[in-house]
Amino acid sequence: MSQVIVIGAGLSGLVAAIKSAEGGQQVTLISKGLGGLQLSQGTIDIHEQGLAGLESPAPHPYAAIGAENVLAGVKYLAKLLGPEFLVGDAKKNVYLPTAVGAIRPTALIPPSMAAGSVRDGAKWLIVGLRRLKDFNASLIAGNLSRLELPGGGSLSARALTIDVVAREGEVDSSALTFARAFDTPDFRQRLVAAIKPELQPGEAVGLPAILGVKQHDFWRELQASLGCEVFEIPLPPPSVPGMRLNEALTAKAKALGVRFVLGSYVSGFTAAGGKLVSVTVATTGAPQEFKADKFIYAPGGFESGALAMDSHYEITEKVFGLPLHGVAPVEELILPDYWDEQPVFKVGVSVDKQMRPLDAAGKPVYANLHAIGGIIGGAIRWKEKSGEGIALGSAWAATEGSENV
Amino acid sequence: MSSQGYSALGFAGHELARASLDHCVKCTICETQCPVLAVTPLFSGPKFVGPQAERYRHGLSVDHSLDYCSSCGTCTLVCPQGVKIAELNSQARAVMKAGHMPLRDKLISQTVVMGKLMTPFAPIANAALNVGPIRSLVQGVIGIHKKAPMPKANSRTFMGWWKKHTPAQPATKGKLIFFHGCAGGYFEVDTSIKSVEVLEHLGYEVVVPKQGCCGLAQQSNGLYHEASANVVKLAKELQAAGDVTIISSSGSCTGMLKHEAHEIMGVTDPALADVGARVRDIMEFLLELDEAGELPHDFQPIKMTVPYHAPCQLKGQGMGLPALEVLKLIPGLTVVESGAACCGIAGTYGLKKEKFDVAQAVGKPLFDMIKATNPDYAICDTETCRWQLRKGTGATVDHPIALIHRSLGLS
Repeated sequence: MSQVIVIGAGLSGLVAAIKSAEGGQQVTLISKGLGGLQLSQGTIDIHEQGLAGLESPAPHPYAAIGAENVLAGVKYLAKLLGPEFLVGDAKKNVYLPTAVGAIRPTALIPPSMAAGSVRDGAKWLIVGLRRLKDFNASLIAGNLSRLELPGGGSLSARALTIDVVAREGEVDSSALTFARAFDTPDFRQRLVAAIKPELQPGEAVGLPAILGVKQHDFWRELQASLGCEVFEIPLPPPSVPGMRLNEALTAKAKALGVRFVLGSYVSGFTAAGGKLVSVTVATTGAPQEFKADKFIYAPGGFESGALAMDSHYEITEKVFGLPLHGVAPVEELILPDYWDEQPVFKVGVSVDKQMRPLDAAGKPVYANLHAIGGIIGGAIRWKEKSGEGIALGSAWAATEGSENV
Repeated sequence: MSSQGYSALGFAGHELARASLDHCVKCTICETQCPVLAVTPLFSGPKFVGPQAERYRHGLSVDHSLDYCSSCGTCTLVCPQGVKIAELNSQARAVMKAGHMPLRDKLISQTVVMGKLMTPFAPIANAALNVGPIRSLVQGVIGIHKKAPMPKANSRTFMGWWKKHTPAQPATKGKLIFFHGCAGGYFEVDTSIKSVEVLEHLGYEVVVPKQGCCGLAQQSNGLYHEASANVVKLAKELQAAGDVTIISSSGSCTGMLKHEAHEIMGVTDPALADVGARVRDIMEFLLELDEAGELPHDFQPIKMTVPYHAPCQLKGQGMGLPALEVLKLIPGLTVVESGAACCGIAGTYGLKKEKFDVAQAVGKPLFDMIKATNPDYAICDTETCRWQLRKGTGATVDHPIALIHRSLGLS
């Protein structure tokens, strides 16, 4: 029997599973499918306002998690993966270019993106691939050149589109197909040969984030071959930098003996004496009961179906029926202007310091149920750029300290 | 076509998996994990030919690259939104092939016939399968690739052994029904024997009813009429043997009973629903016993590092990897999970001359992993995957139960 059951395989679920297993506990991780981490940009967002954002008042998740837990969780992940995966300072944001040529703040980044941190006076050559439709070099370079940078100043970017074939017989290859092609030296040589003659002195080269999956330090080789700085710009899914993080964390969890039960929904639970006893997993054939001492619920929010709104605008948490914070009449939750803040995305559970969901009276619903990551309400995570900070801070808070063992 | 065949294909053209279609958010997770898309542009990917193309099908195919899907089911397994991608694609392919089914696909899905024909002539069959010109002829006439892995014909069947078998000790626990599957009855006989011996060693009374084929190979080739009839017949045969747990060491046939026949072909016969809820993969059963504290831990050490490949159709059952957990109980044994989605063979896919190269390319990283981990010995839960791995690596490849059998001092 497992001591800890984690439900969900996104960033918070994987980190909570790894940390529990490192602490010597038997851990089972149950997940319907792969987690959302591989859809991410491969960067660790904490808050668009940097450290000030960590002091956000309740009902923001950071109020329950606490700034120190967020920083501890981020530091834990950075140490777990090492500088080949993540560099930077959790207390200081950088601004990275996006695949439409905007910029966004984030905290920790893959080393392959470091040279793309915007700065006044930078000269960039943005290189697109004709057969990769998700990265339009002209759009990106044009938009970046028009920007006034945070803190003032501007950069100049120009576009180059080349046709380097990742796989014969395909005119529309995915980012992942390109990334896999990096494993062959021939592809890398063809890429360099197409860029080098077009490169001007003093330019850094911005490429789509396709510079290898399993091995992902090819940016260093390109820098040496081109004689200039090279950086990756993240793409929409399939997001190669997100895949790298997901695969690395999954491998670490497996190496620590975490048991993965992939492909089935959690369909029910049993409880006694104020504690959860087991969860029911809808495996094929017949459902199975999984018992544990401690349950860590990391299912995400609306995007994964853990929260659902029905045709009567009723919002429910699907597995445990947990009380939700932020529920209001629909006209207060979904506002007519798309660009308005949409409060529906703040709906979620509210938690205590150990990340246990609370009932209306402010008492933990179950003494041994902890909720982490996107299921916690109170923040519009993508808007304020706090998703990974909430995931890591809550994973840390739910697994750290004697009261949580 | 009989009414049953018509309804299975009609179901495939219009019903079940379409209900999950709108859950697709186009996140591409399935495409990143598809083992076929990774090695060939001939297949446009599970999302593209599945939830996307399905909107335009109206019962017809809009994208013939669908035929290159191996039906490994990895897409459905990894989908975080619950879309039945593999099921949609299997159904669409069956509809696409209806009316012009290749003779080859009808022949290779006749697993019982193959076993029955080959058993009496095992030495001749094995010799013939090793003769290049004969295989070239088979490739030319029927379309089975001349280098495709073939089962080794066995001169004894499992039932032949079973009829003469007496348990080593009297039963002290309850009764279990053993389901051997076609390959476990005729080719991988050793796995079936060891499974029964382990169960009897644990004190169970094992019964083996006369049983036919689950129809999986027919289903994956789009022969829904035949497959539906076979799986219902089998369910009734197993049901007649008693109202107890059914154990199988045939990982993919177990999946057919648990969910595939129902989800892909819409078989709703109550016998299947009953049997599907009672059938357990043998390693799953041992893990359940262990979780309940009923599995004695008297395992003798095996000092070895073993690569383990969990087959796609076992993973598709959504129960995790029970073998990995159970084998942790053997002292000295280090089991290394392959991490590969699929070995490439995917039932009969990798036998076909036009798919052979794709199947070998899918299998290559796994072959390399096995050679690097232990070039002599690997484990894997399903039969055709073992044939593929043996052919691709030269290693001895056993069902995980072989290690349990050995560790219990039974071999």
